[in-house]
Amino acid sequence: MTGPIRVAIAEDSAILRDGLVQLLVDRGFTITGAVADPEALHRSVGMEQPDVAVIDIRMPPTFTDEGLRAALELRRRFPGLGILLFSQYIETRYAAELLADDAAGIGYLLKDRVADVSDFVEALARVASGGTALDPEVITQLLGASRRTDSISVLSVREKEVLSLMAEGRSNAAIGGALVISEGAVEKHVANIFTKFDLPVSQSDHRRVLAVLRYLDS
Amino acid sequence: MTSPQTPSTAAQLRELFKQMVNVATEDRADRFREVALVIWREPFARRTWSEFSFVAIGGPLAAVGAAFVACTLWAGILLTITFFGLAIVALSVRGARGIGGWHRQLAHNLLGEDIAEPEPFVARPGFLGWLQSSLRDRTGWRSMAYIALKLPLAILAIVAGFAFWWDAFFCLAFPVLGGRGNNVPAFGAPNLLFGNGFFSGGQFSGGQFGFLHEVAIFLVGILLFFAAPWAVRGVVYLDRRVMRVMLAPDALSVRVRSLEEARAQTVDTSAATLRRIERDLHDGTQAQLVALAMRLGMAKEKLDDSEHLDLDQVRQLVGDAHQGAKEAIVDLRDLARGIHPPALDIGLHGALSTLAARCMVPTELTATLAERPTPAIEAIAYFCVAELLANVAQHAQASRASVACTENSGWLRIVVRDDGQGGAQLSRLGSSSSGLAGLTDRVHAVDGRLAIESPPRGPTVVTVDLPLHA
Repeated sequence: MTGPIRVAIAEDSAILRDGLVQLLVDRGFTITGAVADPEALHRSVGMEQPDVAVIDIRMPPTFTDEGLRAALELRRRFPGLGILLFSQYIETRYAAELLADDAAGIGYLLKDRVADVSDFVEALARVASGGTALDPEVITQLLGASRRTDSISVLSVREKEVLSLMAEGRSNAAIGGALVISEGAVEKHVANIFTKFDLPVSQSDHRRVLAVLRYLDS
Repeated sequence: MTSPQTPSTAAQLRELFKQMVNVATEDRADRFREVALVIWREPFARRTWSEFSFVAIGGPLAAVGAAFVACTLWAGILLTITFFGLAIVALSVRGARGIGGWHRQLAHNLLGEDIAEPEPFVARPGFLGWLQSSLRDRTGWRSMAYIALKLPLAILAIVAGFAFWWDAFFCLAFPVLGGRGNNVPAFGAPNLLFGNGFFSGGQFSGGQFGFLHEVAIFLVGILLFFAAPWAVRGVVYLDRRVMRVMLAPDALSVRVRSLEEARAQTVDTSAATLRRIERDLHDGTQAQLVALAMRLGMAKEKLDDSEHLDLDQVRQLVGDAHQGAKEAIVDLRDLARGIHPPALDIGLHGALSTLAARCMVPTELTATLAERPTPAIEAIAYFCVAELLANVAQHAQASRASVACTENSGWLRIVVRDDGQGGAQLSRLGSSSSGLAGLTDRVHAVDGRLAIESPPRGPTVVTVDLPLHA
């Protein structure tokens, strides 16, 4: 990707919106629009064609799932657009809906995550370039909500940790860094997981997430 | 005092007295004309014939109902030793409820008597549930009691209606049709009035069906004709009274229904309140804290990056975060106070004096409370006063306000008064759930009352009555 990442922000809380703009500008992003409701977001994205949109789930007029609806609609209109949903709560149903057909360029994070600025910025960059960023909370809930939770129990503790990080969209190197193990060890765990789940191994980050989610969804 | 005016005064008095007598006489004449007119019109009035239809249709229905109840109850009791007995009694109660409904419908259609509909029958699941619900159906049993009472009433009504009307027409027709036979098929109203043998001849004309006899009977016919509507009306009146008691929902069901409504309202209100609190937390405090954490996170990372450290930027970020934290604290305090005012911990009086002192309009508080209301009542009282004083400050353009809080035989009365422009209405004052309309719901939920008296140009007086214990 050339030049700074272009970001649209839809967040109805002014204090948070301003904070996000300040943070992202500080980190070298270009803000193409910072708006407070879904309609303005549609206009802004249509005009500016950003790389990624950060969308609050609860927005006017009903403060329920307007952001999610807007995200699905934008995804249909602009397939290349990265979407980072941003919410105070994680709703399993929202996550499932969002990830229904493709996890590429999708993120779903708790708002709390902005406190760890670097992680947040990294996740946003990942989504902008077609990767995935799922909140650990989302993973936990999806694992919990899965009807095949018992299958998860065939995994060792370390393999579960690797699976969670994998589902967040992390690379093997990042997983190794997070768990303080070598990349080789991570690769071994991933291979074990896929073997236990009976899934073909793949190199690409988001396709691994896809595989995991498809497994969870089945 | 001997003045020349005395005789004239006496004359005046006499004149006045004469006038009064005249007026009285005229009044009486008027009244008499009125009554005569009513009596004259009544046999032809629509109401009379509606009532007659009610008697004519209700009579057979009463007979059918009584027969049904008698048969089923009898069969049920005979079979009590078997399980079927109970089932038949249950059927009897359910049937009685239905028949009661017919009577109520009849009264509504023909008499314009609107008797409140009882709660619909709700059976518990399963046959045993149905049995139990049916046997415990108070409405059904009360309908059954009505059916039992209705039978004598219906007989009385038939006797009154048919005896009077039939005999009236018979007597009126007597000069034309009568005289030919000694057998007179009268229902007996004249017999009741004038003794047996009235028609058998000779009563008026020495054993012969003479002209005088015929005239007398014709006159009796006229009398009966104009008396008949009133006889029917009397019986129907009795029936109405019985129906109002037996076919309407009883006091207990009415109470249960109103409690159910109040409970539903309370549940709705508390759900709305919780949603409002969640919204406030979500949009306010939570967003503030996220923004705060974000600024601190940025500051932290800038501090970590010692090579490009820009202290001014960090100072700015920390300053913003500090400001945000203080704002979050204030918002959180306001929110907490809205959920439960901490001032209430020291009692209603203390809490109200804080409210009165904080009001923008000078407010005087008088409170005499010997007994402390329960916490829920105190909270409702507090929020009422808070909302009312907020309204006074916002809308009333008042220069003074007062809050009086008294206790009287188990009730707490709060009167909020202002000398403002008046014209306050429930609908205008309270649009949201936190407004006055919301308060009315909360007051009703504990069987309290909220009354607004606010004529144009004021003053506005709002009275809230709450039970001390809820």
